[in-house]
Amino acid sequence: MAQSAHPAIPYTVGGEGAAAPWYIWCGVLGVSSIVLGLYWDISWHMSIGRDTFWTPAHMAIQLGGILVALTSVYLILSTTWGHDAAAKAASVKVWGFRGPLGAFLACWGGVVMVTSAPFDNWWHNSFGLDVEIVSPPHMVLGIGILAVAIGALLLLVSWMNRAEGDAHVKLRRVYLYLGGVILSLHWVLLSEYAGGDQMHSPVFYRALCLGVPFVLVSLARASGYRWGATIIAAFYTAWVLGQLWIMPLFPATPKLGPVFTNITHMVPLEFPTLLIVPAIVLDWLLNHFGGKNKWLLALMLGAAYLGVMLAVHWPFGDFLISPAARNWVFGQNYFPYMESPSEYHYQWEFVDRAPTTALFLRGMGIALATAILGSRIGLGAGDAMRRLRR
Amino acid sequence: MGHFTRRVAAILAIIILWVGPAWAHVGNPDVYFQGPAGPYHLIVTVRTPQMIPGIADVEILSATPGVSKITVVPTYIVGPGAKYPPVGDLLTQSKDDPQYFSGKIWLMESGSWQIRVQVEGAQGAGELALPVPAAARRTLPMEKSLGVLLFALMALLVLSIIAIVGAARREGPLEPGQMPSVDHARRGRRVMIGAAVVVFALLFFGNWWWNSQAFAKARQMIYKAPPLDVSLEPDGKLILKMGNSEWHRSRPETVMTNLIPDHGYLMHLFLIREPGLDRFYHLHPSLKSGLNPAGAHTFELGLPAIPAGRYQVYADVVRESGFPDTMTAEIDLPDVPGVPLTGDNSAAAAPSLATAIDSTTAIPGGAGSAADGLTTVLPDGYRMVWERGSAPLVANHFVWLRFRVETPDGKPVMDMEPYMGMAGHAEIVRSDGSVFAHIHPDGSVAMAALELAQKNAPVEAASSTMDPGVKMNMRMDPPSTEVSFPYGFPKAGEYRIFVQVKRGGQIETGVFDTEVIQ
Repeated sequence: MAQSAHPAIPYTVGGEGAAAPWYIWCGVLGVSSIVLGLYWDISWHMSIGRDTFWTPAHMAIQLGGILVALTSVYLILSTTWGHDAAAKAASVKVWGFRGPLGAFLACWGGVVMVTSAPFDNWWHNSFGLDVEIVSPPHMVLGIGILAVAIGALLLLVSWMNRAEGDAHVKLRRVYLYLGGVILSLHWVLLSEYAGGDQMHSPVFYRALCLGVPFVLVSLARASGYRWGATIIAAFYTAWVLGQLWIMPLFPATPKLGPVFTNITHMVPLEFPTLLIVPAIVLDWLLNHFGGKNKWLLALMLGAAYLGVMLAVHWPFGDFLISPAARNWVFGQNYFPYMESPSEYHYQWEFVDRAPTTALFLRGMGIALATAILGSRIGLGAGDAMRRLRR
Repeated sequence: MGHFTRRVAAILAIIILWVGPAWAHVGNPDVYFQGPAGPYHLIVTVRTPQMIPGIADVEILSATPGVSKITVVPTYIVGPGAKYPPVGDLLTQSKDDPQYFSGKIWLMESGSWQIRVQVEGAQGAGELALPVPAAARRTLPMEKSLGVLLFALMALLVLSIIAIVGAARREGPLEPGQMPSVDHARRGRRVMIGAAVVVFALLFFGNWWWNSQAFAKARQMIYKAPPLDVSLEPDGKLILKMGNSEWHRSRPETVMTNLIPDHGYLMHLFLIREPGLDRFYHLHPSLKSGLNPAGAHTFELGLPAIPAGRYQVYADVVRESGFPDTMTAEIDLPDVPGVPLTGDNSAAAAPSLATAIDSTTAIPGGAGSAADGLTTVLPDGYRMVWERGSAPLVANHFVWLRFRVETPDGKPVMDMEPYMGMAGHAEIVRSDGSVFAHIHPDGSVAMAALELAQKNAPVEAASSTMDPGVKMNMRMDPPSTEVSFPYGFPKAGEYRIFVQVKRGGQIETGVFDTEVIQ
């Protein structure tokens, strides 16, 4: 068994130096590569503009997906046709094949990612080269990426749930890191609505309540760690600050007209939303009221999340639109090459404000409802993940 | 997926058929141009893509030897987009012909583009600017094979995710080695049914979203010439009312709605009688002050004497950005006694196109053939000869259309004059009206757009005293007896070419018919 390329999975793992199996690292590396590629690609489109399929950013995304998918295929085939009884025991069965649940999902995600490529190619030829994130083929790619990420996470979770002692602690660290990467992945979709100029608008709060409570609550609940949400939010903050501060170090020139802003370096995405603050509150609530009725708990979590988001970002928005934030630290003076100088001012004044109090309350009401619902589903998902051992 | 694509294709087909090949000119999306880049004389062809954003093919032939490098840069002609050109694209020099260069440029939005051509070679450096109007013409349906493949993949993915979700519910919570009970299996099946419902709902929504996106995008992106309402007043005045165009209005920086004069006039109007294209009028209506109820301009014109018939109307205008439009309409006119033709207005009569193609003799006002080309006898006895050569005309191939004017006894004329600032004008019409081009010796570009483009580029031959109004063509002073037009016929068919020059104070219009093959 010690010689098996696929390490035996006893029902519990313990002792010093017990390492995570190689395929866990493949999953983590693959998902990190995908998310890095996504941020890089968006920055590329804001700075250089033109790309073909074969840019480094695209390769990072596709190869990340392929790495996780091929790892999963290997896991499934070796479990199905191998002789490792322990592996077979800790597997699920789909269409006659056996393997870890996460492996099936990641494999599925990989096929979806690859399927999106010819679809995207046709869409470009038919409706023009890419000028938007949210097109049907990109949504297909997005679903694939999501499945690969969740598959890698479930792969890690099922191993973590069977580990004890030091091994469990080490795996939990990796889990929290992966959670931070997944939160960063989700935030990419939101970044369009997460500018400082939008922090007095219900649009910002609705966007930030749509998926973040679900992600934070489910991952924190499944981690079994006191400060799960906080650490995950910390990893996310580090990731987004990293791209904000590192991207502009690299020179870039636009290769696509019309050029309205003269770009000399890569343009990064937004300053990170201060999710770490509501994350601390979520952790505190989960620790103290974790045993309560899930709907009641979800109500508390959703309301607390939105309340803290509002309390933090309303004044933070004031700061971000001020001249004090127009520097490399806060990044409020970056504009993509296609933005006309006549439109710069939109970044430095509040936009999309609700015209009446009633409309503002309506928007915030929707945000609250989605935060509560997301928290409730997150609690269920988190509990399900805690039970996963296959 | 087949059903989805069929629906998208149906919607798009409706749009395409309804919109038709409307373009400025009509049915001529490619740009043909000749001009100097410093010491080098260049002939440029730009084939714009059907969908914008898209990639245009650029072909440049240098009539002057010694060119070693050509770079092209696309920018807008006017506005803030014109200030920072992106890095240029190097064209590839052909191995067979060192004077032929080709390459691609990216056009990201519809609007009034220009390309700046930078040349380096044995005689030094030179630069040329020419306008390239770009607008989306059509979207493309999905190939059947791709549709089948995607549909098959989708079916596989739908079924497998339902199975995966079922396995997660059935076996996920179990301890390793524990067998699922009947209860677990039942729960798994229930979840699979739920998952199936969710997945099909997502597919339904996704399909609806895809169709609405496709439809919305097509409507927003695909170019349509503004509608033109043409009517005749009892006093013989023609009224032309431009309609609203959302396509233009929604592009205030790249297309614009205000008009600028193009070689002297805000509108060049052409009336051509159907079906034989046997009566031709080139007129210049004047702008009425104020805006009509559609928020657009109205023009009026006292018609000259026009015989009754159904007339195809082509109205050429140029926007402030340099973007040209050709609006089309049809009108049934009675016999109009009209007012005499004055100034730059002109007319021509010729035999019907169907009969003329068969004719082999030179007839007054008609097309015929002569030993060295086709000859038209003009109404005052002078002759216009088309130096056609014997090679057939092929669609989408660059061709020089060369014409010369002779006295009644075959000698070259000595009294050629510029007509609206140019050595000549040519109007090319396909027998069914689906192609109409109004071109000049510089090429198929709008003269007003060319002036705007050259204003920004250090073109050697350009005059520094550009002002709106009649311009002299810099390379023809005084005009010679020969006039040449660079052009490419966009599709096969039968065409009639009206060539207009000015001689001895008289505007002469020669009429030539030809066939273009595929």
